[in-house]
Amino acid sequence: MARVLVVEDDVQTAAEIAAALGDSGFDVDCAHTGREGLLKAGADTYEAIVLDRMLPGGVDGLTVLSTLRTVGVEAPVLILSALSAVDERVRGLRAGGDDYLTKPFEFLELTARIEVLVRRQAIPRRDTMLHVGDLEIDLLSREVRRAGRLVELLPREYHLLEYLMRQPNQVVTRTMLFEEVWGYHYDERTNVIDVHIGKLRRKLDEGGLPTLIHTVRSSGYVLRAAE
Amino acid sequence: MSSVRLSDLRRTTSFRLALLFLALFGAASLTLFGFLYWQTAGYLKNGTDEWLARELASLVAASPSQLIEHLNEHAARDPEGDRPFALFDAAGHGVAGKVANLPTPSPSNRPFEFRLNRRGEAVTFRGLAHRLPSGDVVLVSQNVHEMHEFRELLVGAMAWGGLLVLIMGLAGAAVIGAGSVRRIDEVARAIERIVNGNLAERLPTRGTAGDLDRLVDVVNGMLDDIERLMHEVKGVSDGIAHDLRTPLTRLLAGLERAARRAASVEEFAAAVDEAIVETKAVLSTFGAMLRISEVEDGARRTGFTTLDLAAIAADVRDFYEPLAEGKGVSLSLKDGSRGSAKMAGDPSLLFEAIGNLVDNAIKFTPSGSRVTLRIFRANENLGVIVTDTGPGIPAEEREAVLRRFYRAERSRHTPGSGLGLSLVAAVARLHGLDVVIEDAKPGCRVTLRREGASTWPTLAAAVTQDTRPAALGR
Repeated sequence: MARVLVVEDDVQTAAEIAAALGDSGFDVDCAHTGREGLLKAGADTYEAIVLDRMLPGGVDGLTVLSTLRTVGVEAPVLILSALSAVDERVRGLRAGGDDYLTKPFEFLELTARIEVLVRRQAIPRRDTMLHVGDLEIDLLSREVRRAGRLVELLPREYHLLEYLMRQPNQVVTRTMLFEEVWGYHYDERTNVIDVHIGKLRRKLDEGGLPTLIHTVRSSGYVLRAAE
Repeated sequence: MSSVRLSDLRRTTSFRLALLFLALFGAASLTLFGFLYWQTAGYLKNGTDEWLARELASLVAASPSQLIEHLNEHAARDPEGDRPFALFDAAGHGVAGKVANLPTPSPSNRPFEFRLNRRGEAVTFRGLAHRLPSGDVVLVSQNVHEMHEFRELLVGAMAWGGLLVLIMGLAGAAVIGAGSVRRIDEVARAIERIVNGNLAERLPTRGTAGDLDRLVDVVNGMLDDIERLMHEVKGVSDGIAHDLRTPLTRLLAGLERAARRAASVEEFAAAVDEAIVETKAVLSTFGAMLRISEVEDGARRTGFTTLDLAAIAADVRDFYEPLAEGKGVSLSLKDGSRGSAKMAGDPSLLFEAIGNLVDNAIKFTPSGSRVTLRIFRANENLGVIVTDTGPGIPAEEREAVLRRFYRAERSRHTPGSGLGLSLVAAVARLHGLDVVIEDAKPGCRVTLRREGASTWPTLAAAVTQDTRPAALGR
């Protein structure tokens, strides 16, 4: 079971995050100050760290992060921030963060991102073919086949599918898709991603095949082999 | 108008200035009058002294018997005794002439003044005495009473004139000072009313373009700005009240209903799902509001990079294409930048802004029509135009739609927070772009273009030519 450290000063928020991550199958430790977080992260190995940007007591999130990176702790870090200045994101990532989430956030968003961070370390990206059920894509020729039949996709649809195929059975949120596939960072709240997914889904499921892309709690998707 | 208190008057700048000028003017006049007096009095005295010296010389030159004769002749010519000549013995007793005793002191050969009784009145004379070798003393003199009177008249005129000037000056200063006190009072009262909440109030002007008027004009301009900002803030608060209270009310109502009535796990689950949807809507509005503030405070400019506007437009088209297709609207991109659409900016913000315009255009354009996204470059001007063939925005609403939470009547019942266009405006401002909303006949055309007064006409011409080929011949 993957272990995650949550460094968050608000006890109730920390408990909620721990509960949400616990529900997703993570083993969660909590720290409530920067100092405690540094001690725990240094003493133990974690697969991921959720780090609040603003911590009381002189040791704030970015200090914790740069200290961890200096002493060689390489666990992926997701920064949580209530700071509204938009370039905080850039600052957080520059300090060594792997992902950035602004409060308030949906827990689905948090758990999905943590799963991607944890899984990214586990699976090396050296495959040339990806398979999910009867769906396969060739990363070199960019050919997509469903049940042996060639599926014609537009470049953007291919990118979308490739990203989903790299995170099989994992929830991926709209925001994550928007960031990864389109490369822009803002909280895209329209349903345009749904329309893209819908088109992709129709192409993949053509001929009455069971759907592979499932919608999760109205804001995320999961690519899962039909049972 | 209330009366002006003296203590107020004393402190006014114009009153003090008037007093200062009065003092300067007084000093200058005093000097001038003093000089005049000194010159005039000196002239009169010198004339007298010269005449006295001449007469004395002719008397002294004569022999003693001739002297007596001269004195008698002179006395006959001068019955009034205005120019008495006299001869005194060594003891100072009168020998001849109309002066009984030698006035004391009577310095020799130096003019001096003395008094004699004339018809019971002491009259001032100016005289010149000479002691003869025999010990007798000759005196010539002249009544200088008129000269003295003239001098007194001169001083009196100066004093009275000065007093008059002083009174008039003080009165003038008081009038001017009172006027300025009244004026300041008016302005102060207007400001008090504004402070007490009447933001529509303006400071009074007199239309004289005086210095106070100019100041008042500037302050009134500032008040216009403040009033506009206050209205915007009020609009935003109203918007927040509406857009946040409505979902919050639904959220609360749903949860209360579940607590009251839900009997099964399924019913509770449904209530929770509804609550989540409402909460997300609240968070979404909240987030959009914060984003606009962030963009507006300009801090994001630190994250600017060099980007290709045409590439961003292509991404926007790519992103919104399925949405347009689903609605039966054709979305096309025309890149008129000829490969030079580079500018400094934030790619995500520009994508969001252009995306918002395209999203709106698709939303308001009926099925079967077109939305065009165009990148143009005219000289140094770079910009994006989004044109739709929808109902357009009425001229009187074009500025208002850029304000936060403004919802045009027709869009009141379509989903959205009413923040989209104000975000576009904020992003455009951050990038130094102008937002221009025009009538595309039919439809609406929104242009984001780089500001620059000097190149404005060429740009406007380029835009016009683009859309109205008839104007090309010009």
